[in-house]
Amino acid sequence: MTSLGDRILGLGLLVLAVAYGWAAQQWPEPFGGAEAVGPDTFPTILAVVLVAGSLYLMIKPDPDARWPLGKSALELVVSLVVLVVYALLLEPLGFVIATTLAVGTLSWRMGAAPQRAFLTGLVSAVVVFVLFNYGLSLSLPAGLLEVN
Amino acid sequence: METLGFLMEGFAVALTPYNLMFALFGAFVGTLIGCLPGLGPANGVAILIPLAFTLGLPPETAMILLTSVYAGAMYGGRISSILLNIPGDEPAMMTCLDGYPMAQKGRAADALAVSAIASFTGGLIGTIGLIMLAPVLARFALTFGPAEYFALFLLAFATLGGITGKNPMKTVIAATLGIMVATVGIDISTGTQRYTFGILELYEGIDFILAIVGLFAISELLFFVESRLGKGRKSVQIGKLTLTPKELISTVPTQLRGGVLGFIAGVLPGAGASLGSFISYTLEKQILGRKARFGEGDIRGVVAPEAGNNGASSGALVPMLTLGVPGSGTTAVLLAMLISLNITPGPLMFTQNADIVWGVIAALLVGNVLLLLLNIPLVGFFVRLLSIPPMYLLPIVTMVAFVGIYSISHSTFDLYFMVAFGVAGYLLRKLEIPLVPIILGMLLGPEMEKNLGHALVLSDGDWSVLWSSPLSITLWGIAALGLALPYLVGPLLRRRMNAAMKESPVSD
Repeated sequence: MTSLGDRILGLGLLVLAVAYGWAAQQWPEPFGGAEAVGPDTFPTILAVVLVAGSLYLMIKPDPDARWPLGKSALELVVSLVVLVVYALLLEPLGFVIATTLAVGTLSWRMGAAPQRAFLTGLVSAVVVFVLFNYGLSLSLPAGLLEVN
Repeated sequence: METLGFLMEGFAVALTPYNLMFALFGAFVGTLIGCLPGLGPANGVAILIPLAFTLGLPPETAMILLTSVYAGAMYGGRISSILLNIPGDEPAMMTCLDGYPMAQKGRAADALAVSAIASFTGGLIGTIGLIMLAPVLARFALTFGPAEYFALFLLAFATLGGITGKNPMKTVIAATLGIMVATVGIDISTGTQRYTFGILELYEGIDFILAIVGLFAISELLFFVESRLGKGRKSVQIGKLTLTPKELISTVPTQLRGGVLGFIAGVLPGAGASLGSFISYTLEKQILGRKARFGEGDIRGVVAPEAGNNGASSGALVPMLTLGVPGSGTTAVLLAMLISLNITPGPLMFTQNADIVWGVIAALLVGNVLLLLLNIPLVGFFVRLLSIPPMYLLPIVTMVAFVGIYSISHSTFDLYFMVAFGVAGYLLRKLEIPLVPIILGMLLGPEMEKNLGHALVLSDGDWSVLWSSPLSITLWGIAALGLALPYLVGPLLRRRMNAAMKESPVSD
């Protein structure tokens, strides 16, 4: 049992806390002179608390969790890429096409048979699209399927 | 008697057909959310917030919808505990102990029915407690000054991990991170730009709804992808209902005790619904002693935790409504809804937004009845939904989260942001940094800073004002205890909870 995870997290948080606290000291003094509480007071306190917390983590780390390796890690990356691409293509391709692809790929990667996965994607996309655009009159992008 | 009058007005709000429809819808969706593994109550309520928002619901309707979902989720959690031996949500953990053995003996239908009734009793006791306690506490809270509020917020963070929490330091870190996120944007009192890096979208600060949905929904998806539990598990057959009235009556004392204990656990900071169901289960075990066969499918072993967790869920609304300080993840999400409806939570809400507060409370009573009616006949329907494997469910849930966030602002920038929060949530959960304090930090951060500022302006910059009144000293004391207790009694309690889980012969 190693506890590298908490140590790395602690180090990262320490860097964050110092940067966060340092940035707070750089702000110009607000107009009208310094008051008891400026915009930097609260962030400074937070930075101090986080420094203390991150040091504690590094000194007394918990045992590591099991991190995904190999195939699981790859699946995670794939899912993330799907989510980002989904956000990217939502407007150009339109809601129905983008959603069919995104939901389909995700459930296929989670273990569904490809045909059923993409069918689920298509059905859920159409249902939500119809519900939102006609039932609740909130417009989702139609994209390529736009009828003029 | 004044309370009764307010309550009647509350019913007038809750019983309008429009609101009743949303309460029914919420109760239904809530049960669904509660019973589907992989879709916890906080997660489910979070996904619904953007929808309630874009639908342009009036504030009281939006709150009624979400509280019904909340109450429903507490009902639903038991279904998968009993049938699959997987708690649908954390408080339903104790229901597995006797619920699953009962189901294995072919009494699943009885377990489902009796737990629905126990949930009803628990919820009813909890709501009555809420009605009696909340106005008193709200009146008391009016005497709080900014220094007391500052101490109260600290108390909320310190006790959030709960006395069974593993590492209080991680709660502190999580809360700090959350508050730090809240400081992004233009400072309200001075106009200074803080941590905006010149990015226009950050000027108004980071929208906590987007952060909440990302942290919960997206990270949940990633967890399922990693664990490859996509196929789901096999459910037990339900069988016929054989519950006799005599047997039902024999559980009444258990129901009452469980409800009261749960309510108390729910109100207290740092306890929450999980501890509520645990306490009522163990106490019941001790009271009944050898007369009962707990862990082998005793009916009272199902009743006690269910009454406990539903009592606790109403109890948890007390600090949320009266002080604006939620004690659990789901109530934190409800608070997010209140804040985004532009309602300042806290004691003033009882006078300024009485219709909303009492409408919500009345809706809890109405919702409880609706839930009982829904749960007994429709249980078969929910059970069938339970067999939808997560590999179809979670992608669809994620899509709904995308739709919700997109429909608030129609900006894809927000979607990337949400995904980023999801990744952060996944990493933090892996490192055992709890997410709820982060969310609470984002919600309470601005209020905390405001109160600190007010207190120091009033005292002319003297910091000792923060711990000068007896009340604030008490609050600081409890906060310190909240951080120290997990080290002192936490290991003991955790061991007993684990021991209770292991005693059950079928636990796996």
